[in-house]
Amino acid sequence: MSGGVVAPVRRPLIEGHKTYHQITEDLCSPTEKAPSKAWIIAFIISVSVLAFGLFCIFWTIWMGIGTWGSNRTIGWAYDITNFVWWIGIGHAGTLISAILLLFRQRWRTGVNRAAEAMTIFAVICAALFPAIHVGRIWVVFYFFPYPNTRGSIWPNFNSPLLWDVFAISTYFSVSLLFWYTGLVPDFASIRNRASGLRKKIYNSLSFGWTGSAKHWQRWESLSLVLAGLSTPLVLSVHTIVSFDFATSVIPGWHTTIFPPYFVAGAIFSGFAMVQTLMVMTRKILKLQEYITIEHIESMNKVILVTGTIVGVAYLTELFIAWYSGYVYEQFAFFNRATGIYWWSYFGMMTCNVISPQIFWVKKLRRSVFVTFFMSIFVNIGMWFERFVIIATTLARDYLPSSWSYYRPTWVEIGIFIGTIGLFFTFYMIFTRVAPVVAIAEIKHILKVGGDQYIGENATHKNQHDTHSLSSTNHH
Amino acid sequence: MNSEHIQLPNKDKIILSILGIIGLISLLYIGANDDLGHTRLWTNLLHNSVYFTLVALMAIFFLCVNVTAYAGWDVVFRRVWGSMSYFLIVGLLLMGIIALGVYFGWHNLYHWADQHTAETDTIIKGKSGFLNKNFYTIGGLGFIVLWFFFAKKMRDYTIAEDDHGDGRWAHYKSMKFYAALFLPIAGFTSAAAVWLWIMSVDPHWYSTMFAWYATASCFVSMIALTILILIYLKSRGYYHGVTSEHFHDLGKYMFAFTIFWTYLWFDQYMLIWYGNIGEETIYFQTRIQEYPILFYGNLVINFVLPFLILMRNDTKRKYGTLIIVGILVFVGHWIDLFQMIKPGTLHTAMELGDHASAAATHGHEAGTHGAHGHEFKMGFTIPGIPEIGLMLGFVALFVATTLHFLSKASLTPKQDPFLQESLHHHV
Amino acid sequence: MRKYNVDVVYGIYDDEEKLLHAVRQAKSKHLEIFDVYSPFPVHGMDNALGLSESRLHIAGFVYGAIGTLVAFLGMTWIFTRDWPIIFGGKPYWAVPSFIPITFELTVLFSAWGMTLTFYTICGLWPGVENPQLDLRTTDDKFCLAFNTKDVSISDANSFFSESGAEEVNTKSI
Repeated sequence: MSGGVVAPVRRPLIEGHKTYHQITEDLCSPTEKAPSKAWIIAFIISVSVLAFGLFCIFWTIWMGIGTWGSNRTIGWAYDITNFVWWIGIGHAGTLISAILLLFRQRWRTGVNRAAEAMTIFAVICAALFPAIHVGRIWVVFYFFPYPNTRGSIWPNFNSPLLWDVFAISTYFSVSLLFWYTGLVPDFASIRNRASGLRKKIYNSLSFGWTGSAKHWQRWESLSLVLAGLSTPLVLSVHTIVSFDFATSVIPGWHTTIFPPYFVAGAIFSGFAMVQTLMVMTRKILKLQEYITIEHIESMNKVILVTGTIVGVAYLTELFIAWYSGYVYEQFAFFNRATGIYWWSYFGMMTCNVISPQIFWVKKLRRSVFVTFFMSIFVNIGMWFERFVIIATTLARDYLPSSWSYYRPTWVEIGIFIGTIGLFFTFYMIFTRVAPVVAIAEIKHILKVGGDQYIGENATHKNQHDTHSLSSTNHH
Repeated sequence: MNSEHIQLPNKDKIILSILGIIGLISLLYIGANDDLGHTRLWTNLLHNSVYFTLVALMAIFFLCVNVTAYAGWDVVFRRVWGSMSYFLIVGLLLMGIIALGVYFGWHNLYHWADQHTAETDTIIKGKSGFLNKNFYTIGGLGFIVLWFFFAKKMRDYTIAEDDHGDGRWAHYKSMKFYAALFLPIAGFTSAAAVWLWIMSVDPHWYSTMFAWYATASCFVSMIALTILILIYLKSRGYYHGVTSEHFHDLGKYMFAFTIFWTYLWFDQYMLIWYGNIGEETIYFQTRIQEYPILFYGNLVINFVLPFLILMRNDTKRKYGTLIIVGILVFVGHWIDLFQMIKPGTLHTAMELGDHASAAATHGHEAGTHGAHGHEFKMGFTIPGIPEIGLMLGFVALFVATTLHFLSKASLTPKQDPFLQESLHHHV
Repeated sequence: MRKYNVDVVYGIYDDEEKLLHAVRQAKSKHLEIFDVYSPFPVHGMDNALGLSESRLHIAGFVYGAIGTLVAFLGMTWIFTRDWPIIFGGKPYWAVPSFIPITFELTVLFSAWGMTLTFYTICGLWPGVENPQLDLRTTDDKFCLAFNTKDVSISDANSFFSESGAEEVNTKSI
């Protein structure tokens, strides 16, 4: 942080002249009140959708993979598309917490907690798909290397699919640590306002946190190193997902740009999902003063940037396919744009590259309404992107006699919708038990982000000078 | 303090001139001892021109990134990047010479530029819509002019702001506009430029990652050079406002992008290795077998050493370690570009040498050595002393250009809205 | 409830700047501070208190290095000695394809090791009830505490009134 001095062109990140106590009050209270009617209805819907998804999963396991639309040509289709889509969404949280820390973007404090929670839930949804797809879900632990009595057979460590197992398990558990460690002091805030059983529960959740200076010092040190570790980790996860495709020799899959391009796409879709959730959360929980238009605009800018990076990657792929002079490569891309699945390519290009360009207009990127629809658009587009890469490529492979067409069955669609139900069920529980905005971190930036201190209507204009003189030059 | 202008001591000017003369002598030496086609001379010229031009591009690119991202910490020394980007003028000249060479057949740098090959080689023929003399000249030079246009815009606004800036921040807003516009433009054009200038020296080979990889390489060098120039200027008594906090951040960027470069290197290498398609693996095959020192040294200098040294916090704040790592990665990425360009041009020279009898009879020893590989030939399989001399000359040219433009205006923008943040920056 | 068996006298402040100021004052008067509690990490507090730098990141490095070795040597042993597999015409010891898992396990070991170390050395764990001086220190109050063995209550009282504390209390914990 820049030592308390704030440039006059920065706009406030916390509105409403908040005091420390008001921040505690505003952010803890959603966990203390009885749920609203809207919450209960939404929760029932989520759980019902989840239940249908569980039924479809059960159906798949009971009847076998034949209930899916995959065939011998297109062995990977809907489930892998959904898997990659969810993993991609699960990138924004860690990106906001870790990489934006490096880039000193203070606005991340308003949204990092919810985004990290979303990350964890999205990764759970993603991990479901490979687990189901193996067919015999009851031996899914064969994924992991452990000394065994099968002649000590190991998984193939040279397989990118196994790298995925490691990457996703690591990513999930490290994100969980990172998120939970941030939650510990906030659970203590809730505990100290509670009584009875609730106090006992929150004391357990807060691990007995007291806020002692030495603990804070270690906590900051831990958070910093976890952020440092998470930065390459978050890059590695989607990189390794892209390896699933790029290590093969299938035209359209075997291309070296896949790793960074998948990562950019993941950030893109992750931010879109954060926007979807934040626009709803801030309204329902009345957090507009903490998740401000400023936050929304910043995230829209990230969406614009990553959407354009993805666009550069699409064009790079197209160009190099032509440049390669390799007919199969050229056909693969020609087929994507004009083949049987042309509509998914069209959807991908429209939603991912063209439509985010409206965010060049300041008015549109500051509009909550536009943001919400754009965020849905982008998520649709990113789903199409994965479908284009996976199904379109496989549908037209080397052997024309094997060319085929894929369409999902009701079971597959049911599982996909079920994961959306799972995601929202988790998220809604989260908004009831934990502060959606990081309390301690918001208090930490109050004096450099609160509207009484900075911005046009600041009342504490002179605060900055005394502040900067009294703070020490350490670190 | 904010209005300081630099005035270099004469001693430093002499040192820069001496380095420049060393570069010139090296160039002449290479030219005099080269084969008839002057492969070594032209390759070195291409290598250095591309490297330093891309470093200048990265400077203006990062400046625009910071303006767009509301980064305030770097404002105090932001004009160093602005001045570095003015090397694009020199880059335009240098790449212009090479483009003229393509036009008039002065050199054998690009296989596709050979009339006979372009007509008979099916693969190269298929690429002739992109790889041709006109596109190389108009496209390549056009990109540099476009980049310079934005560099000039950014500089004009920040200098105008010094005298006319006020609380309405009109200049700042214009800068934000041009900076944001530049980012996608730089994204597309830098990739095309790298394909055109570097990747096409191996005209049969392609990799979609290549442009981002080469650009990342130059980005790390740009940060390293920024650190070195800032330390130099501080040692001459300028930039009091630049503290160890700023160096810490620059060090973090050097560290982070060193890892990012390694990440891209690994992705490209591993995917090609794993796919095991002959047309692709030949690129690394050549480099591992004929340039082993460069191939492995590249990883040691550009990843292992900076990673281990910069992992600690204090090494990002001390001049000693920053200078060592800065020089290391700057030279390291220069070597990285060397091994991107040299094998391809050497191969082209040999191929073309076969039917250009003059070159074939006149020794062409260097080329044949390169082909057999197991001997090291200075200037071909590893950079020789003249190559290093030439690099020093280019460094002098780059630094002199930067300092020249830096001295034309105040070292620090006087009216930038983020100036106070930058002066009070601590982590 | 964990017991420290000390009697403390503590002052409550309403702003982190005041707390920081008070800590610096106490240090200059050579009053030994028992502990400081705040609702968020106060910038510059560890320097003011003279806390030694946390060595947690060194532990993280060691854990990470263990992860690297376990992964890389483990895969090397499995694929060159225990159960060699040829894939895609590559050698048994296929270093590039060991890198991703090696990286992941490095991060996994480092992150888990560090986090568990953090909670252990801080004495934080589910079910632990650490004594708290004032419940409002997780809300909007900042607390500076002296051990009555180190600083007498009267000294503490005068110090607190001088440094602008809102309240002064004593407690046995």
